[in-house]
Amino acid sequence: MLIQTTQLEKKVTTQDGILHILQPIDLSIEAGQTVAIVGASGSGKSTLLSLLAGLDLASSGDVSIDNVNLGDLDEEQRAKVRAEKIGFIFQSFLLIPSLTALENVMLPAELAGHKNAEQQARELLTKVGLGERLKHYPNQLSGGEQQRVAIARAFIGTPKILFADEPTGNLDATTGHKVEDLLFEMNQESGTTLVMVTHDAELAKRCQRILKMDAGRLTEVSNNVA
Amino acid sequence: MWHKISWRLLRHELKRGELTIMAAAIVLSVTAVLSLSLFTERLQSGLLARSAEFLAADRVLSSRRPIAEDWLQQAQQRELKTANRVVFNSMAFAKDNLALVDIKAVSDGYPLRGSLRTASEPFGEETTVINQLPGEGEAWVAAALFQELSLQVGDTLEIGQSKFEVTRVLTYEPDVGFSVFTDSPNVLIHYDQLEQTGLIQPGSRVRYNVLFAGTAEQLDSYYEWLAPQLNDDTHNWRSIEDGDSPLARSLQRAERFMLLASLLGVVLAATAVAVAAQRYCQRNYDVVAIFKTLGAERRQIQRIFILHLLLLTLISIGVGLLLGWIIQAQVIEFVAAQLGAELPAAGLKPYVLASATGFVSAVMFTLYPLLRLIAIPPLRVLNRELTGTDKLRWLHWVASAGTIYALLLIYSQQWLLSSALFAGGAVAAVLLLAVGRFFIRASRQAGMQAGSAWRLAMAGLQRRAQANSVQMLSFSTAIMLLLLVLALRNELLADWERQLPDDAPNYFIVNVAPDDVDQLEQRFAARDIESNDMYPVVPGRMTAVNGVPVRDEVTKEAGGDEADTQTNNAEQREGFGRELSLTWRDDLPPNNTIIAGEWWGDNPQPQVSIEEEVAERMRLSIGDELEFNIGGNTFTVPVTSIRKVNWGSLQPNFFMIFNTSTLEDFPATFISSFNLPKERQSELYDLFKPFPEVSLIDLDAIMEQLREVIDQVSIAIAFVLVLVLVAGVLVLLAQVQASMEERQQELVILRTLGAPAKLLSRSVTYEFLILGAISGLIATLAMELSLWILQTQVFEMAATIHWRFWLVGPLAGAIVVGTLGRLACARLVRRNTAQLIRKLA
Repeated sequence: MLIQTTQLEKKVTTQDGILHILQPIDLSIEAGQTVAIVGASGSGKSTLLSLLAGLDLASSGDVSIDNVNLGDLDEEQRAKVRAEKIGFIFQSFLLIPSLTALENVMLPAELAGHKNAEQQARELLTKVGLGERLKHYPNQLSGGEQQRVAIARAFIGTPKILFADEPTGNLDATTGHKVEDLLFEMNQESGTTLVMVTHDAELAKRCQRILKMDAGRLTEVSNNVA
Repeated sequence: MWHKISWRLLRHELKRGELTIMAAAIVLSVTAVLSLSLFTERLQSGLLARSAEFLAADRVLSSRRPIAEDWLQQAQQRELKTANRVVFNSMAFAKDNLALVDIKAVSDGYPLRGSLRTASEPFGEETTVINQLPGEGEAWVAAALFQELSLQVGDTLEIGQSKFEVTRVLTYEPDVGFSVFTDSPNVLIHYDQLEQTGLIQPGSRVRYNVLFAGTAEQLDSYYEWLAPQLNDDTHNWRSIEDGDSPLARSLQRAERFMLLASLLGVVLAATAVAVAAQRYCQRNYDVVAIFKTLGAERRQIQRIFILHLLLLTLISIGVGLLLGWIIQAQVIEFVAAQLGAELPAAGLKPYVLASATGFVSAVMFTLYPLLRLIAIPPLRVLNRELTGTDKLRWLHWVASAGTIYALLLIYSQQWLLSSALFAGGAVAAVLLLAVGRFFIRASRQAGMQAGSAWRLAMAGLQRRAQANSVQMLSFSTAIMLLLLVLALRNELLADWERQLPDDAPNYFIVNVAPDDVDQLEQRFAARDIESNDMYPVVPGRMTAVNGVPVRDEVTKEAGGDEADTQTNNAEQREGFGRELSLTWRDDLPPNNTIIAGEWWGDNPQPQVSIEEEVAERMRLSIGDELEFNIGGNTFTVPVTSIRKVNWGSLQPNFFMIFNTSTLEDFPATFISSFNLPKERQSELYDLFKPFPEVSLIDLDAIMEQLREVIDQVSIAIAFVLVLVLVAGVLVLLAQVQASMEERQQELVILRTLGAPAKLLSRSVTYEFLILGAISGLIATLAMELSLWILQTQVFEMAATIHWRFWLVGPLAGAIVVGTLGRLACARLVRRNTAQLIRKLA
């Protein structure tokens, strides 16, 4: 099992008492699966994503990736897991504004100490159709182009898992579809596990499994894993 | 790999202008410190060189015995310029008249600094004499002697066994000094003519001087060689800074002011760095969160950002050094042109100081924001509100305060000055925090009242109370420092003005016979000439203190002034003559204040009042019994008061003043001073013709020199003021810009909801107006406190309250901060809403 959670729970203390953001969740995702997590705003989708990716810690329960329990790791070790195994795509792209497209894509590989980061980044950017725009800064690119840079960045370390948080949420429909196509195409090619948070039902349908989050409770809506 | 990422970030960010504020702040701090310290150092050495004219040399060695030839050779070997000057009293004869004169015999090269001026007839038009001295058989004679001996140019003057032809009227000698007790006019002859006068005999009262001029290093090296061979009883080594003359005082004050203003510049620049450092780190929160999400380890992030900051700092320091040098060179060129003099080059110290300031402030002010930056949680990529821990905030305050105090101390090397400034700042900070609290308390009822611009502004102020109190801290600091420099400059200039008003006395008269006093006063009145009181002078000696005979430690003009350059005083300083000029008076003279004991009033018992410094040197206190001998009569008198005397005032001042009944029966002559405008100089001859025994001392030349020095210092002060002003505005700008970013989101929301641009820009303007006015008010209070300490402790001036600033401070604060806020807001409001939303996303 690539991703496994047991009784994963997230609570926060507010002025009005304890707020259960995530009710105990048991979830298993195998390598190569594509999983969509759908649900209304504030239902806890992004919180689950942050726990699965080791960006945040659970109040109780466990998350393990590749049989490593993230709860047993400190911040540094979790960063290492992310560097080695995880790629990200965000709704707001989260590119570093002062780095060019090429440098943004190179960044994770460089942080992981890969020698041929630049070569890999060039190839990926060419693949996403931005071979001519390597030296452009994020603010010189359109939203769709920025997200394509983000996709290239997500794939550079050949991660085992790709987490995507509303990857087309900031894009118009046409651009959004193109980005979706690209994302699934590259995912298929690399055989990466994809965990995607979205409220777009059409997009969710392209995944093998659809999980629905409702007020912190997760239920499986459909499972088309062959 | 991390260094590549770091360098890449820096390169792009610099190119894209994202680091402008941080870089500008460091550049500013380095530029300000470098140009200020280079400028002050060069100007000071320039001023010293200029003031050296008052000695006619950089250093003077005087002695009662001829100075060994070997000592001169040693000086010449060190490439110092030297000249001999021998001064003594003698009788001079002309046309069957005789007079006591001061003979000054000088060798080639004299004066080494400054120049002589002469005229072809008494009180005629004067010309500057360059590289020229009286030739063989020639003498140049002071105007007063022409009067006394009824001389004319071309007449013969007999001195000792020699006859001299009077070829010029000596109108100005740079080293003439100011003493009013030199009652004999000067005669200048060449050193080579001295021997044939036959006046120098063993036991003659002669003052031998050697003048030296050269660089500070040459002079120091020579003095190092010379010092062990000097005998304190016979030798005296002096520079212009020694002493208590109006000039020395003005110079010292100017130096302190420049130092202080530079210090304030340093603090302002450091504040700019502090404000910018905070922004620098906040701007990178997202970047760090992304790095962490992408798997960067803490160590990698640390290294990347520390290197980033170091590179940024080093580049900024480099730019700052270059800019500071250019500015300083331009100003120096301008000032040098104004002064008509070259200013000597400065050493390496200013460069080191400037680089250190930039480095220390960049590192120390970034310390806490950087720690916070590195601790940013990766989850910020999903939740933008997360800004990490705030637990180490105290570290920020300690580091920032410590850095500012350390910079002050390093720069001034004076703990009192540094502490005064620091205390002023601390009071401002505490006040601001209190005001911030007040706003927080008041903010409970405040909502988002978008109806009118004023209400929106007030609501905004209250909602951002915490942030605002921090902003006000930098606004107030900047305003306070600006006010401080401005107030101090005004005080200093006013003080100098008081010292040298346009109607300051420019002539002293001495040796007025008692019978002539009334007549002379009538003549002054008839010609509408303003004169000071006539002071009687009785020559006398102090012979014992509390029954213990006084020997060499008792000195006459112990306080000294430029008169030191003259025979009489220098002799008396060494206890040679021990004759004092005593006076009596009913009232306390102007410019004198009693610091111990009481002035006598009507009490007829014998009493004496002593000048503070004499009392200190001779260890005299109230109640001590002093014994005096006047013309063979001995009497004892108790010290009943000690006075502080303003030696800068151009009026007769005395070390010892007696009550009238004690001295009035002794024979006395009178002295006074008066003001006669230069254009009426020709009247002098007629005015004093009936009083041949009265000697006239022209102070115009001296005062002119003093004015010139003060003018130069004023130029310098104006420059410093401009630099500090620029630094202050930059701090304000940096702060406004930083706070604008905080306001951005709210503005975007209001704009999206359809709030008119006018309403928004007005409300922001009002908010900054109020912030500026409050900051200005607090700044004024803090300024008064600092100024009170500075005036009383550092500048030795009377403390005053500056009511004008209580209006100027809040008003200027409101206008400047309000305007800057409006400008920053205008840019934001001009953009269309879609652009703004994208920018925020």
